[in-house]
Amino acid sequence: MAKAVAQQQTGGNGTPESLLRPHAEQLYADELAELAKADDRQRPPNWKLSPWAVKTYLLGGKLENGFTVSPKYIGNPRLVEIAIATLATDRALLLIGVPGTAKPWVSEHRAAAISGDSTLLVQGTAGTDESALRYGWNYAMLLAEGPSMNALKPSPMMRAMMDGKIARVEELTRMQSDTQDTLITLLSEKTLPIPELNSEVQARKGFNVIATANNRDRGVNELSSALTRRFNNVVLPLPETLDQEVEIVHKRATEIGRALELPVEKPALEEIRRVVTIFRELRAGVTEDGKTKVKSPTGTLSTAEAISVINNGLAMAAYFGESVLTANDLAAGITGAIIKDPVQDAVAWKEYLQTVVKEREGWKDLYRACREVL
Amino acid sequence: MPHHIYGIRHHGPGSARALLAALKTLRPDVVLIEGPPDAQDVLPLIRDDGLKLPVALMIYRADEPRHAVFYPFTVFSPEWQALNYAFEHQIPARFIDLPMTIHLAEEAKAMEKLKKALEEKAKLPNCDDSSPMPGAGSGDGNGSPQMGSPSPGDGKDPNSTQPTLREDPLGMLAEAAGYTDHELWWEHQIEQRVDATDLFEGILEAMTALRADAKPLDDREPAREAHMRQCIRAAVKEGFERIAVVCGAWHAPALVNLDGAKADTELLRGKPRTKVIATWTPWTNSRLSYRSGYGAGVASPGWYEHLWTARKHASARWATLAARLLRKKDLTASSAEVIDTVRLADALAAMRGLPLPGLAEMNEAILTVLCHGQIAPMALIRQKLEIGDRLGAVPKSTPTVPLQHDLENRQRKVRLKPSTEIKDLDLDLRKEGDLERSRLLHQVALLGIPWGEAHTAHGKRSTFHELWQIQWQPEFAVQVVEAGIWGRTVESAAEARVCHQAAEIQELPVLCELLLTTTYAQLPGAVKYLLKVVQDQAAVAADVRHLMNALPKLSEIARYGDVRGTKGEQVLPIIAGLFERILIGLPGACGSLDDEAAAQMLEGIAHVQESVDLLQVESMADDWQALLRKLMEDENIHGLVRGWCCRILVDKGAISSDELHRMARLALSPVVPILQAAAWVEGLLRGSGLTLLHQDGVWAALDAWLVELPKDIFTQTLPLLRRAFSGFSGPERRQMGEKVKRLRSAGAAGAAAKTDTGADNLDVERARRVLPVLAQILGVPYAG
Repeated sequence: MAKAVAQQQTGGNGTPESLLRPHAEQLYADELAELAKADDRQRPPNWKLSPWAVKTYLLGGKLENGFTVSPKYIGNPRLVEIAIATLATDRALLLIGVPGTAKPWVSEHRAAAISGDSTLLVQGTAGTDESALRYGWNYAMLLAEGPSMNALKPSPMMRAMMDGKIARVEELTRMQSDTQDTLITLLSEKTLPIPELNSEVQARKGFNVIATANNRDRGVNELSSALTRRFNNVVLPLPETLDQEVEIVHKRATEIGRALELPVEKPALEEIRRVVTIFRELRAGVTEDGKTKVKSPTGTLSTAEAISVINNGLAMAAYFGESVLTANDLAAGITGAIIKDPVQDAVAWKEYLQTVVKEREGWKDLYRACREVL
Repeated sequence: MPHHIYGIRHHGPGSARALLAALKTLRPDVVLIEGPPDAQDVLPLIRDDGLKLPVALMIYRADEPRHAVFYPFTVFSPEWQALNYAFEHQIPARFIDLPMTIHLAEEAKAMEKLKKALEEKAKLPNCDDSSPMPGAGSGDGNGSPQMGSPSPGDGKDPNSTQPTLREDPLGMLAEAAGYTDHELWWEHQIEQRVDATDLFEGILEAMTALRADAKPLDDREPAREAHMRQCIRAAVKEGFERIAVVCGAWHAPALVNLDGAKADTELLRGKPRTKVIATWTPWTNSRLSYRSGYGAGVASPGWYEHLWTARKHASARWATLAARLLRKKDLTASSAEVIDTVRLADALAAMRGLPLPGLAEMNEAILTVLCHGQIAPMALIRQKLEIGDRLGAVPKSTPTVPLQHDLENRQRKVRLKPSTEIKDLDLDLRKEGDLERSRLLHQVALLGIPWGEAHTAHGKRSTFHELWQIQWQPEFAVQVVEAGIWGRTVESAAEARVCHQAAEIQELPVLCELLLTTTYAQLPGAVKYLLKVVQDQAAVAADVRHLMNALPKLSEIARYGDVRGTKGEQVLPIIAGLFERILIGLPGACGSLDDEAAAQMLEGIAHVQESVDLLQVESMADDWQALLRKLMEDENIHGLVRGWCCRILVDKGAISSDELHRMARLALSPVVPILQAAAWVEGLLRGSGLTLLHQDGVWAALDAWLVELPKDIFTQTLPLLRRAFSGFSGPERRQMGEKVKRLRSAGAAGAAAKTDTGADNLDVERARRVLPVLAQILGVPYAG
């Protein structure tokens, strides 16, 4: 019940500013409120906003009263539309993608915009059991009173059903297959039977599930086709162009840097561009100009990792450097992100450094810094 | 105003539907349609039962059929519906665009220039794909909604689409409405409109506003519109009272006002003319779409046709069709998923503020629900549903292209009916009839029409047999028309196309392949030309391997050409020239090869050997053997090549077994690098183990070499040896095993040197009795 404790804390010492990572609905409360005010379109039952407003919230835009909504997802707007339209029907949504394609990010914001609550979260792990998707028991109560509604501890999923909200299941493929299958009845019947009490919970309108799954990582449990059929599948792609990816990294790095209150200047766009270029080239196995082939390391080198490299660099610059992001601050982070396998990846990275980075105009500092770390 | 103007989009089902409704209310007494007046004569054919959509009007210059223009029509084309309406109600229908007689005459010169420029730019390395349409003015292929017309002139050069797009007023209108894709905008605003009242007034108004300050697309546009106005005036003068004018929306405003007849006459005066011929040809859905480069069309004819035929529940039907298609391909697609697909598409449409889900919404919903986010099955849906594989047909009485006419004649003459069934032919080239058939099939193949496929029969290597598998596809009709640009008869067209191709081919073997087929097709003119090209190419070819690979084809012509009455001696000088070059170049080319290059060299040498065997010219064989011997003894050459040369010489009996033993010992002596030695063994034994089996000296040398290999080096060479032995046949392996066994049982001492062929316990008397028969079989005199 760690979640409940955390919630109490939020309730207790409350402002979003003091939290390490506020929820989407806390962070963007003002935008949500403005959108709700401006939104005069039809809303599906129990939705806080209309699909149009949800889309605007995610993709950003200007409202009629001049209020600017910041974009939360940078990428193909059609994907966002498909996802929202899916939730407006009663089909569940499954976001698939390689690590670091903003799956949890998208699902959190969507839940926040639709239900005003992104906390109904089930985290999928190898140890997640059925009770995380259905309900558990307060054993003291169970022993004292016998099975009753009071002794039952609802899962976030069950609470979402009762309140007609969006529940989120992160890393669905990490769960054991039999746990995954619990979702089947839930999604097709929209009821949660409680055989112990000879009762059931029927979902209220507005209930739906957003799940995220990873199709690249090792150690995942493939979804059964029965479960796949109950989801609408949206594949989130890696950012298409260099500029798009740079924009994402820059935006997120700045935001996080602000949240961590790092005493450093905004990261220079040039440094971000370099990191993103390195990541993209290694990921694709070919340089951006398409002329040189390079070895790809084993890691996924996602956008999320690029963001964390920048943040790491920012922290280094703030506390140990000259409070301006330089190649030296980035070198360790880049190397750590790329070399996941000490033998193969090191070779790939060294080759890349020698054949690409060394030759590139204006990249000498980065080359030297990286060679030092190796 | 007696004339009513209906601005449409070409191939827009919404336009067609609205147009039909409007015609029904108007009840016109004449229908004027934007189209080539030259085709007036063949228009009545559209009522023929033999006609199946999609079809295209083809108009070509009588003197030069390669200058042709295509106007495709399908069931949802508004022009088609207008024509149909006119014929159904027995009122005159007329095409009123600028006649092609003028257009083709004007363009003839410009096209010549353009063609030259295009040819320079895009030298196609491979010409057997469908040839580009010279003078195919049938559209600009830039994906614009083709408001202008599917006729030529809207975009003459595919490279110049950028500026036209920038000036594209429709794009501006769509952008103003907030659409990035102006096609989509038109789709949403016009084509998907359920209620079509006042649609044409709206279009006219919008176009008038647009044209207020837009420049004409090109200098032909004023002339075309002038001609259209002239035609309308003529119709008015004839006393028609309700004139329906169907034209591309873009032209609509220009046709409203009929004043200024004088200026129009002036504009049209003195235009050059040329004789043209119009006819119908079958068309396909894929040719209607952009993909084939005929820009006159729509991206998704299948979808449009669906919209036209299935108005009610269009999206549900579409999703069901997709599901059925997936099921046919063994992919799961349940009805529940179809329901969810439709619901998602509806939700998407609602979110985007559309009255109905469009193709984009359907595709996204199908991808998300039916295909589980997998992109691969979508290609299938695109191919089979969105584009569709519909194929048109034209009535028998349709006037035909000269080439097609000739082809039909020839087909009749040799009694080869084009049919869609797969049929196997076994032609005996000694018979006159079969030879004619073979000629025709080869010539048609050279035209780029894959009617028949020649097979080589296993085991039947007689030179007078030819096996074919033939199957005629209806879409070949289009290819025949296209091939019409090369000539009027099958023979002349094939010749022209071959010569054209030959000029572009850079690789000698490919050229020789073409030469071979041309010889089979018996095109003397083309053969002569090709021989010259081959000669020229061979003279500058730097790569000996190319020369070597080219040789077998040429030898085949020289050797077997006479079955068809071709003169093989034409080829002989070329072969001699090639052979000389190979003799000179080969030793140098064999130096410093890596394993891969050596393997390729091996193939080349095998090719030459094959040719030498085939030609049976003594001096050639001697020279070749001398060269092989030189290669075999050259220490600097890759072991594989040396081993292979040795093997050929052994096979030819050019070296004695003693010499072979010497070579084997030499090649396998301890100082030779192990890998080289292993390569030598591989070259010697490649494909057949007979040498090893029957030459005990080689066997012994190999044995000794293997025994002396250090342990780790043995492991290293094992894969190479394994590869060398892998080509042996089962019996050979068994015999080898037996040989090993025999050797062992024969005792340890000197067993390897002593052969055990069973000669000891031979009954000489009984063996002698077989000899006369054997001699007879072998055709040698038996001396007793």
